[in-house]
Amino acid sequence: MTAYLARRVLQALVVLVVVTLIVYALLTRVPGSALGAVLGPHAASGFLPRYFSWLNQVLHGNLGFSLLHNEPVSTLLAASLPRTVALTGTAVLLALIVAIPVGMLQAVNKNKLVDHVLRALTLLCYGTPSFVLGSVLILVFAVKLKWFGGEGPQAPGFVGVITDWRDLTLPVLTLALLTIALFSRYLRSSAIDSLAQDYVRTARAKGAGERRVLRRHVLRNSLLPVVTLIGLTVPQILAGAVVVESIFNFQGMGYQLWYAAENHDFPVVLGFTLVIGVGVVAGSLLADVGYALLDPRVRYAGR
Amino acid sequence: MREGLAAVLTRARRRGRRDRRARGVLALCCAASGLALLLAACGPTDGPSAAGDTPVSGGTATWAESPSSQPTWIFPFAPSAYFSVANTDDFEYLMYRPLYWFGTGTKPTLNTQLSLADPPTYHGRLVTIKLKDNYRWSNGEPVDAQDVLFWIHMEQADAALSSATKPVGWGGYIPGYFPNNVKDIKAVGTYEITMVMKSSYSTAWFTGNELSQITPMPMAWDRTSTGKSDCAAVVADCTAVYDYLYGQSTDTASYATSKIWSVVDGPWRLTSFSTSGLDTFSYNTHYSGQVPAHHISKFTEVPFISEQSEYTVLQAGGSGGLSSQKLDVGYLPTVDAPPPAAGAQLGQNPLPGYHLSALYEWGLSYYPYNFRNNTYRRFVFSQLYFRKAFQHLVDQEGVINGPLHGYGKVTTGPVGNYPVTKYLSPKLRKAGDPFALSLGAARRLLTSHGWTIPASGPATCTKPGPASNECGTGIKAGDKLTFSMIYASGIDWMESAVKELVSNASLVGIDISATAEGFDTLITQVVNCTATAAANCGWQLADWGSWTYAPDYLPTGEELFQTTSVANFGGYSNARNNQLISKTLHSSGLGTLYAWQNYLAGQLPVVWTPDAPADLLETADSLHIGPQASTLAITPEDWYFLK
Repeated sequence: MTAYLARRVLQALVVLVVVTLIVYALLTRVPGSALGAVLGPHAASGFLPRYFSWLNQVLHGNLGFSLLHNEPVSTLLAASLPRTVALTGTAVLLALIVAIPVGMLQAVNKNKLVDHVLRALTLLCYGTPSFVLGSVLILVFAVKLKWFGGEGPQAPGFVGVITDWRDLTLPVLTLALLTIALFSRYLRSSAIDSLAQDYVRTARAKGAGERRVLRRHVLRNSLLPVVTLIGLTVPQILAGAVVVESIFNFQGMGYQLWYAAENHDFPVVLGFTLVIGVGVVAGSLLADVGYALLDPRVRYAGR
Repeated sequence: MREGLAAVLTRARRRGRRDRRARGVLALCCAASGLALLLAACGPTDGPSAAGDTPVSGGTATWAESPSSQPTWIFPFAPSAYFSVANTDDFEYLMYRPLYWFGTGTKPTLNTQLSLADPPTYHGRLVTIKLKDNYRWSNGEPVDAQDVLFWIHMEQADAALSSATKPVGWGGYIPGYFPNNVKDIKAVGTYEITMVMKSSYSTAWFTGNELSQITPMPMAWDRTSTGKSDCAAVVADCTAVYDYLYGQSTDTASYATSKIWSVVDGPWRLTSFSTSGLDTFSYNTHYSGQVPAHHISKFTEVPFISEQSEYTVLQAGGSGGLSSQKLDVGYLPTVDAPPPAAGAQLGQNPLPGYHLSALYEWGLSYYPYNFRNNTYRRFVFSQLYFRKAFQHLVDQEGVINGPLHGYGKVTTGPVGNYPVTKYLSPKLRKAGDPFALSLGAARRLLTSHGWTIPASGPATCTKPGPASNECGTGIKAGDKLTFSMIYASGIDWMESAVKELVSNASLVGIDISATAEGFDTLITQVVNCTATAAANCGWQLADWGSWTYAPDYLPTGEELFQTTSVANFGGYSNARNNQLISKTLHSSGLGTLYAWQNYLAGQLPVVWTPDAPADLLETADSLHIGPQASTLAITPEDWYFLK
C-alpha cells in the first residue's frame, strides 16, 4: 500500500508541474495581459527563468498581488475558497444523500415504473444547463413565492455561508440537482451489475435478509465507481460553480477566476488555476487511495 | 505612456451595464418551466409599498454597486489603476471631499454649497482660493490652506512618484498642465491660497478642469512610517509621505480601523470594508457641511456580479420579501426596461414599491477612426466625404428606439448633448441628428468621389486622385472599402448597434469585419497606437463606449481632439480645430466654446454614437434621494426615509 501511495503521489506531482507549465505558457501569451506590469524588471528575461521565478515565489507562499482587487492573491483566495467549498461541499453532500437511495431504488426496481419515473427525472436534471435550472429556481422560489433569497449568501467565510440556509438553498439545489442525476445514474448501473454477481447470490443462498444483502454486499461494492466519480467530478463541479456563482451573485472562486480572466488579472488567474489544479489532482489522488482502501485488488494489480 | 494610460483609464468608459443575460432562455426548460408557472401562479403577488411622506431621521440605506465594480482604493490621491467612479465618486468622496464639488442637481456645474471653498477669484493671472472656515476634520482640526498645499505639493512631486514597477502618482496628472502651469503657490492666510497662472487661461476652464482635481488632505496624513513629515511645506518630503500612504492604501484589511483613513472631513465614516464590495458607512457626526434636518444614519454599498443578479434581488426582496438583502437604491437593466410611451421620458416601472428615474452621465459617446492606421485606410478616414457617408450609416434614433428600449439621446457634436448644459451651443442643441440614417446619402457621397459600388461586395476606388470628384490623396485605384472594427464585449445594445451598422454599411459597399473584445484588451490596443508607434496601429475602428468629463468638467476639447493630446486616440489632426480649442482655454466666454464645437461637429473627427443612460435608477418609495448628479457622485447624507 505504501509503494502504491508513493507512486500515486509522485504521479500527481508530475501532473501538477505540467499543469503549471501549460497554464503559465498559455497565460503569458494572452494579448493585453498585465504581465509586463506584474513582472516588472523580469519582463525582459526568457520564459523559463520567469516561470521558475514565479514557481519559487509560489513555493514560498507568494501567489502574487492583484492590482484589480488591490490585495494579495492569497488574501483573495482565503476569502473565496471557503465560500466555494461551503457551496460545492454542501451540494455534493446533498447529492450523495439523495443519489445513493435513488440509485439503489432504481436498481432494485429495474425497468419498473418507479425506475422509469426516476430515470426520466434524473435525465431531465442532467440535461438541463445549470444557468437554466438556476434561473427557473430563482424565478419560482425567490421572485414569485419569496421562499428563498434571490442571491447566494453574502456573509463572509465558510460558516457565514452554511448558516445562511435561506440564501444557500437555491444555489446548492442548482448544483446538487445536476450532481444527483450524475451520481444516481452511476450508482444504478453499478448496483444492477452487483445484483447479478455470484457473491450476492451466495449471500442470499446463505439466508441473508434482503436489506442486509443490499446494504452489506450490493451498496458497498456499488459505491466504488461513485468514489472515483466524486474525485473526477471536482473540476466539473467547480466549472458549474462558475455559472451558479454568477447567477446567484456569489463571490466564490469560480466567479473570481472568471472575473480575473475577463480583466486579464494575470496573478489571480494563475494562482487560482494552480489551486484548482491542486484540488483536481488531490481529488483524483484521494479517489485512487479510497478505491484502493475499499478494493484490495487495486493495490495488488498495481504491484 | 503613463499619462496616456491615466487618461484612458480615468475617463474612457464602457457604455451601459455589462453582463446582460438573455432571460428568454427560461423557455427552453419546458418541464421545469411548467412547474415554475404552476407554482408562480399560486404564489403571492407584490403590492405597492405603504411609504408615507413624512421624513424621518436614521435608518440604513442600501445601494447597489455597478456590476463587478466595487471600491478597492481609499487614498484620494489615486494612481491611474484605481482612478474610477467606484473608487472616487462612490467611495472616497463620501469621506474626503474635493475642494470644488461639481454636480448641482443633474447639471455638471460647480456646486458652491458642497464645495469646501468659495468659488475662486481671478485678478489677471492671480488666482485666489478662499476656503470656508466652518469645515473640520473628524479629529477637530480645520480644513485649511495647509491641507490644500499638501495635495498640490504631492502633485508637484508627482513626476518623482512613479517607478518602473509601481503604477503610481496622481491618475489625473498630465505633464504641462496643473500644477506645472502655475507658479508662486502659497498660503496667504489660514484659509487662503494664491497662485499665479503662467498663461492667461479661461477662468471657467481653470476652475472646471484644473482646480477641480484637488482634494485637501489632513495633516494627520502628513507623515511616514517613522513619524511626522512636512509635505505641506516642503515638496521634497512628499515622495516619502506618498510611499507611506500608498502602502497604507494597499492594506485593505485595515481600511475601516486605520488611524490614517479614519480622519475624514466628509459626511461619512467607513465602518466596515471588504474588497468583495460589501462596505458600510456611518454618518460622521462631526461633519460641518449642510445636511437636511432628517437624513439616514447608515449607508451600505452592496456588490453585484451582474445587473441581472441585481435585478433579481430587486424583484425578490424589494417589497419586504424574505430576501435577506433589501435594496433601497438599485437599477433596472435596459433589456428589462419597458419602453416609454411617445413623449414620455420613462416607461411603466415593472417593480412595485420602487420609482424609476433615468440617470445620464456627463460625457461624450463616440468612437474614433484611426487616422494613424498603418494601411491605406488612414487616407480614407482623412476624407470628410467618407466620414459623412459613414455617419449616415449610424442609425442613432434606431438604436435608441430598438436595443436601448427608448432610453438614450442623440449625439451631434463634441460636447455631450445630455444633460443639456450652457456649454452646448444653441445651434447643436436644436440640430437634431444632421447625419441621420440615409443609405442614399451615403451612397451618393461615395459614388460622387470616385468609388464604384458593385451589386455585392466592397466598393472600389476607380478614380484615384485629390480632385473633388476623386477618391482623395493617398488612395490608389483598386483600394477597397473594407474595414475591421473592434468593440467592447458584454453590452447587448452595443452589439446590436454594431450589427446594424455592419448591415447598413454592406448595402453601400462598405465591408466591416466587427469583432467583440474585452474592454481592457480593446483599450490596450487603442492606447498602444501612438504617433511614434506605427506598428501598433493595426486597429481601424474601435468602440469601447464613452468618455466621462470628470474630474475635468469643462468639455473644451483639449483632451480628446487636440492633435498632441494623449487621449486623441485616433490621432485626428486639424489645425483650425487646434486654434479654436486653444481659444477656449484662454477665453472665459462661451462664444469660443460654441465656435469650436459648431465647427468640429461638422468635421466628424469621430463617429458620434447614441448616449445611453448610465443608470435606470430604481429607488424604494420609502426613501427620498432627490435628483442624482450626472457626474455620478452620490450624496447619501441628503437621503432620508419617509414614513
